[in-house]
Amino acid sequence: MSAPRAAAGVFPAAIAVLRRELLAEWRTRVAVNSLFLFAFAVLVLVAYAVGPTRLSPEDRPTVNAVLLWVVLFFSAMTGLSRTFVHEEDAGTAAALRLSAPPPAVLLGKLLANVALLGAVTAFVVPLFVVLMGFEIRDLPLFVVLLLLGTFGLASASTFTAALVSKASAKGTLFAVLAIPLLLPPLVGAVLATRVAATEAELSAGLDFARLLVAYDGVVTTAAFLLFDAVWRE
Amino acid sequence: MRLVAENLSRSFGRRAFGPVSFRVEAGRVLGVAGENGSGKTTLLKVLAGLLRPSGGSTKIFLEGEGSAGGHDPRDVMASIGWCAPDLSLYGELTAEENLIFFEKVRGRVGGPALAKALLAEVGLPESSYSKKALGALSTGQRQRVKLAFATLHEPDLLLLDEPGANLDEAGRAIVQKVVASQRLRGITVIASNDPRDLALSDERVTLS
Repeated sequence: MSAPRAAAGVFPAAIAVLRRELLAEWRTRVAVNSLFLFAFAVLVLVAYAVGPTRLSPEDRPTVNAVLLWVVLFFSAMTGLSRTFVHEEDAGTAAALRLSAPPPAVLLGKLLANVALLGAVTAFVVPLFVVLMGFEIRDLPLFVVLLLLGTFGLASASTFTAALVSKASAKGTLFAVLAIPLLLPPLVGAVLATRVAATEAELSAGLDFARLLVAYDGVVTTAAFLLFDAVWRE
Repeated sequence: MRLVAENLSRSFGRRAFGPVSFRVEAGRVLGVAGENGSGKTTLLKVLAGLLRPSGGSTKIFLEGEGSAGGHDPRDVMASIGWCAPDLSLYGELTAEENLIFFEKVRGRVGGPALAKALLAEVGLPESSYSKKALGALSTGQRQRVKLAFATLHEPDLLLLDEPGANLDEAGRAIVQKVVASQRLRGITVIASNDPRDLALSDERVTLS
């Protein structure tokens, strides 16, 4: 037996985890189906119940911003916890623990969730804009907000999923832990989206974007610092 | 290389096993016997670093490191191979895709050739698994894939929990071959109730 073996490089291992997640998702379509079906059902409901004509022009930016992020938020809550919960339920977590460096597991699964939520966002936003007659006046700000908000939702959801994956009441615990963690960026994203829709105060929109950058940075850094203990205990 | 356990125990509210002490040198095979519920599987999980012990310690001394220090299993997980009934690989991937994935996350670069060779060594010709997801293979075939997974990275410490479970006679011969190969590389620990598995060991501890 030789000296301790060097751990695999984090980035190549993370790419391997990402590829496996996406391949498994492509073959089973469990998370994709639940995310897209939920998003589509809520979009249709909102379009019928509220629609573009039942809102006054002054209420439209605020209500549309809230509804858009509600759809994205609950889509994240619906599908993103699966990444770690399924590993524990299927009994594959032990093999992964023995084989992969913990940061690579987190990074790979985070990237997979970002890709998944990114795909849902790309599906939801154009439909929402059309169905609700949602006018975006500052498109670059809106796109930046979507990227930052989606990343924040995916990052916080992924880490919370890791936290609850070994608990018995995973679903309840995930919601209890994730909602307080996700509310701050959600509020910021809603307010900033309203600004992007009205173009009233661009500087206020940029302030919210900075807030989202800070939130994403803090949550992701904390996740990487804490994950080793969460994953191995 | 040496594996040393001193007063090792684990409890989940009540005692799962131990305290137990043993010492195994490179090239040797330790058998862990005991009735159902005596804690054999839990002991192997502690040795693998998948569980923390409640008491005592496990130290793995690597070659050339002398008797000072020693490593906690959690610090040398890359050197440990584990095959157990409650180990699952990814059911939606094929056997070959599973091994290639675990090669990659371990930083090894054997690729499909290594995976195919390992599967052939455990008696799985390509025709038996190439088009099937792992979840569609028989229990015995999955056990063979688990043996390939455990030895994929040529571990220094190989932990086999009920290695002959669900295997036919040809499969049991493969377990013997795996243990014989591991003797040249490091230490093997076999936990089982089956006398045929335990017959492969040089020394034995019995949990009660």
